[in-house]
Amino acid sequence: MSCLEAAGVRKRFGGLHAVDGVDFTVEPGELVGLFGPNGAGKTTLFNLIAGAYYPDAGTIRFGGDDVTRFPAFRRARLGIARTFQVVRPFRALSIMENLLAVVASEGALSRTPEQDALQLLAGVGLADRANDPAGSLTLGMLKRFEVARALMVQPRLILLDEPLAGLTDGESAMMLRLIESVKVRAAVVMVEHNVRLALPLCDRAVVMEQGRVIAQGTPAQIRSDPAVIHAYLGDTPEGG
Amino acid sequence: MRFAAITVAAAALAAVMPFAGVSVYAGTLVYYAAYYLVLGQAWNMMSGLTGYVSFTHGALAGIGAYTAVLAINGGWPITLALVAAVAVTAFASLVIGVTSLRLRGTAFTFATLFFQELLLLGVRKLPAAGGAAGTTLQEILPTSLPHVLMVLTAAGATIAFALLRRSRTGVRLLAIKGDEDAAAAVGIDATRLKIGVFCASAALCGLAGGIHALFIASLHPESVFSVDTSIVALAVPLIGGVETALGPVAGAILYVGLREILQIVAPSLHLVIVGLLILLVTLFLRDGIIGAARRLLQRRRTYRAALETAR
Ligand SMILES: Nc1ncnc2c1ncn2[C@@H]1O[C@H](COP(=O)(O)OP(=O)(O)OP(=O)(O)O)[C@@H](O)[C@H]1O
Ligand SMILES: [Mg+2]
Repeated sequence: MSCLEAAGVRKRFGGLHAVDGVDFTVEPGELVGLFGPNGAGKTTLFNLIAGAYYPDAGTIRFGGDDVTRFPAFRRARLGIARTFQVVRPFRALSIMENLLAVVASEGALSRTPEQDALQLLAGVGLADRANDPAGSLTLGMLKRFEVARALMVQPRLILLDEPLAGLTDGESAMMLRLIESVKVRAAVVMVEHNVRLALPLCDRAVVMEQGRVIAQGTPAQIRSDPAVIHAYLGDTPEGG
Repeated sequence: MRFAAITVAAAALAAVMPFAGVSVYAGTLVYYAAYYLVLGQAWNMMSGLTGYVSFTHGALAGIGAYTAVLAINGGWPITLALVAAVAVTAFASLVIGVTSLRLRGTAFTFATLFFQELLLLGVRKLPAAGGAAGTTLQEILPTSLPHVLMVLTAAGATIAFALLRRSRTGVRLLAIKGDEDAAAAVGIDATRLKIGVFCASAALCGLAGGIHALFIASLHPESVFSVDTSIVALAVPLIGGVETALGPVAGAILYVGLREILQIVAPSLHLVIVGLLILLVTLFLRDGIIGAARRLLQRRRTYRAALETAR
């Protein structure tokens, strides 16, 4: 059984077809790269999967259950976690409290949430900042913090929206190692503009343009796909 | 729990006042500080933690007051009457909560304002509640009873707030205040939590209102459901500092003191000046008197530490 199966999902904003009939599956343990130019509909697809919006049409199944009409919090409790393209910490809370606010997915309830949180923070290099307010962290730290907060959900699927955006080279290297370690715990979908750095990590890649999937396959297939080169990779400096 | 011990000690001192020969005037001031402290902590639980602003905490206490008086006049013992006050108020809050807390943003605030007005209109037309003339407690009780009960309730509310703030539920409520979408993304059921905490907060108001009815003995719809009490309920934590257990304590003491002075100096301006004070505090202190005091202490500590290392 697939971990995630989105079939024929559509989402319109006014006259704009942000997601226009997308089929998208993720197998357990897989790391899928989701690429495409600005405005392709990648974040909107994440929002549909995580339940921030409901699709206008199509179905979303998670672990075999139809979750199309489930609110976001319920999907999180089933094991879908995410990070945000623009980081969204609870700024007034400490880093530790941010993690303690998380409701772990069903069946993953822990008796020692503080210890779990500290362990996750150590894993993203933030153990010494546990008691600092989230608002005091740098962007690089907040990007890693969001991964830790998402892992606190104990997810089976984790959606990373542009985890490398805005990071320095050193921070990017750290984040890539982190993503590899996340893959051991859950299936991962990663949206990234930095295809050069992200593609080598992927088991499979999907390319969207104007709300549609225009190509998918192994990293090697994607690199040589003429439609992809035309639509996306050819136009971006990092794409080479 | 040093904090709980201090709270209990302070409450014990305040509770024995009527029996220790303290003047009635001083006792009344302490009583009102305790009453406003309960309302302030109740508001702090709901609006301080979730950010959903209520303008009806005074009216919720009014429901408790009316319920208690009607029950006692109907022959119920005081304990049962207070239980009824809590239950009826909690139920009334569900009516507001279930309809407006499913929505984000200001829907709740408007619902509370509307509810406040609706209650006043309704109670004035209700013959069973004495209509526009109000109703009076038929039993004559010593004021020491409501005094002790209110002080204990205030201490209980303060400790309950401190425990809630430290619990994971408290952190989740603050997460909702910070970013409701991000809260949902980490599994927080915002609607349920908001309705739940509003109901608990209303129950506390119902208890305070029921006890207060024993103190004032006669109820008039215009004063019981006046928006003034609701404004005091929010002024107390806003002046003292929201999100902390100590904030409303400072706020309640300051408010009662200020009101006494204003009653002599400028009786008609009292709410205007309270409004001005809220404005000044939110503009210049942000997190209230307690928050500002904490920052000051912190700064002095870092300054001292810097001096030490400089030596
Ligand atoms: N809430 C919204 N309301 C209106 N339009 C929206 C909304 N969210 C997204 N859009 C539009 O839908 C389209 C797809 O946006 P989306 O954010 O999904 O793209 P993306 O692939 O994530 O792009 P980027 O790489 O820039 O993040 C864009 O044209 C965007 O302007
Ligand atoms: Mg995006």
